[in-house]
Amino acid sequence: MGTILELQGVSMSFGGLKAVDSLSFDVRENEIVSIIGPNGSGKTTTFNVISGLYEPDSGDILLKGESVAGLRPDQVHDKGISRTFQSLRLFSNMSVLDNVLVGMHSVTDAGLIASMLRLPKVRREEAAMRVKAREILEMFPGRFSGPRQQQPAFSLSYANRRRLEIARALASEPALLLLDEPVAGMNPMESREVMEQIKVLRDKGYTILMIEHDMHVVEGVSDRVIAMDHGVKIAEGTYTEVANDPQVVEAYLGKRAAEATA
Amino acid sequence: MSLDHIVSVTIGGLTVGMIYALIALGYTMVYGVLKFINFAHGEVFTIGGYVAAFTLLTLGVNDGMSAIAVAGCLLAAVVASVLVPMAIGFLVERIAYRPLRGRARIIPLLSAIGVSIVMQQSIILVFGSKPVTIPTLALSSASIVVGGIRIRVLALVIIVVSAVLMAGLTYLVKSTRIGKAMRATSQDMEAAEMMGIDTNKTIAFTFIVGSALAGIGGFLVIMYYGSLKFDAGFLYGLKAFTAAVLGGIGNIPGAVVGALVLGMTETYGVSVDLGFLAWFVVAGLVLGLYVQMVRIPRRRLQHIAEDRRTPEYERSLLNVYRLTPYHGVKTLLAERTDALLSVSAEHAVRLMAGNVFLAVVAAVMFVNANVRIDTRWQPVIAFVVLMVILMFRPSGILGEAITEKV
Repeated sequence: MGTILELQGVSMSFGGLKAVDSLSFDVRENEIVSIIGPNGSGKTTTFNVISGLYEPDSGDILLKGESVAGLRPDQVHDKGISRTFQSLRLFSNMSVLDNVLVGMHSVTDAGLIASMLRLPKVRREEAAMRVKAREILEMFPGRFSGPRQQQPAFSLSYANRRRLEIARALASEPALLLLDEPVAGMNPMESREVMEQIKVLRDKGYTILMIEHDMHVVEGVSDRVIAMDHGVKIAEGTYTEVANDPQVVEAYLGKRAAEATA
Repeated sequence: MSLDHIVSVTIGGLTVGMIYALIALGYTMVYGVLKFINFAHGEVFTIGGYVAAFTLLTLGVNDGMSAIAVAGCLLAAVVASVLVPMAIGFLVERIAYRPLRGRARIIPLLSAIGVSIVMQQSIILVFGSKPVTIPTLALSSASIVVGGIRIRVLALVIIVVSAVLMAGLTYLVKSTRIGKAMRATSQDMEAAEMMGIDTNKTIAFTFIVGSALAGIGGFLVIMYYGSLKFDAGFLYGLKAFTAAVLGGIGNIPGAVVGALVLGMTETYGVSVDLGFLAWFVVAGLVLGLYVQMVRIPRRRLQHIAEDRRTPEYERSLLNVYRLTPYHGVKTLLAERTDALLSVSAEHAVRLMAGNVFLAVVAAVMFVNANVRIDTRWQPVIAFVVLMVILMFRPSGILGEAITEKV
């Protein structure tokens, strides 16, 4: 299995604060890797650096061996990294279908004049995109069927908005999918459903890097787990290995608790 | 008052309104994407007019030429009055606004005012400070007579051309790939970037389209009035900006509606009797009632969370808007138990107050039916109407294009 993503000593600081400190890890093809860690440990910053929102101070980020560090977010997306957001960021006044179609922006290439004139080629491309967008929405059976596809995104329930974010991120068939707390705020039943969904995505061949606080989900889907604290990777391995790592226990529960369990 | 008079006043108002609309679209599109008022936009309009005039004068257009030659000159003027503003719009965004993007909002605003001054002075430097005048063509004074009413052909051209352009723009924004990118960028620029949209390109495109529309506006104005002053863009820009706010800033159909309302108000206010004007207030009242009874409630219904949606709840929400004097006031005065209901009640009572006010104004006007307002009061009337509309609909006639936070 080839390596999809590789971080080599990536550091990112804001003022005096080192949010991410020489972080290195890799994600291999068709793998689900979870990043865990207490609040403020640099997980979302890591995602923001990978997706091009920030340029790392040092280190390199390789996607299939090609550096993507320092590219603009849209260029990173074009290279094949797509993501969801911890705090939902759908285009809320646009329809469900249009949200997915925006996600496909980088894989369509209809020029302006061609699309104003509605040339047959454009019309074919548009029709094909719509079919594909509907297929992607069908991955969430019964959630986005029929008239709901034309509703504005803001009218969806919370769980459906989370699902739509995943659908939008899948629209460009990314080489790497970044999920930032996909089950945050969901009830146990909903998060179990999303968990199954994530497994389905792996079966379809997707590679996923995920931030998650819900340990049931992390345990349920992860091939590997990376634990972070204060911007540093403190442990890496299977769920059981990481969950029993004294440093991880200390980061979550404090030093004394760690000593007690040791 | 004769029908001819009313028809010609209406066409005059529509013509002016359409010109305002062409300019207002640029303000509103840029605001929609960047939340920034491009105060230099009025000058882009002036430049469009000047470039058109310059082209026509250089080509020496006159009625002695063959019809084909005149048409050729006009075509060249249109092309110039589109391309030059497009280039200017692109450059201004690139040089004066993009480097300041992400700073405090006041900073690009100052830059815009600076750009506006630079552009006005440049027009004086290049073309001189005297108004530019084009030779009178048979076409510009031509008129047709329909049912005994004389109508200037150019007025009709302005109305039709503007309407076609606006339809095209609506299609562009709603259905094309770049239109989707524009809407996505306007709602969440960062998220749009991370979904693969080159927002710099999208923003540049927005400026180019807005400038092209303003340029065509400039061309149409110089054809219609025959001359243009270097500072014309200030007043036109101000009015178009007002129109955009009036219709709901950031809202494309809103800019058109706001511009037409402004153009009509200006023209009608001093050209017909109060008794006739009162009917417009009545129309406003009907629109206000439509907004209160149908449009807003329909939208509010979508805000009910899926798991709370019951027929009873939907009915009580509708009652707040449709039977406001009882249900709205009752909800407002009762203990606050439901956020959506109490916010809606407050909103509904405000809408009702606006509608009652309109009814009172209409009544007063009907009582003084035969009075006509002096022309000198034109700006005051326009101002009062704007204030009244914005007081009761603070986000403009069709509402601002605010992103609903979810």
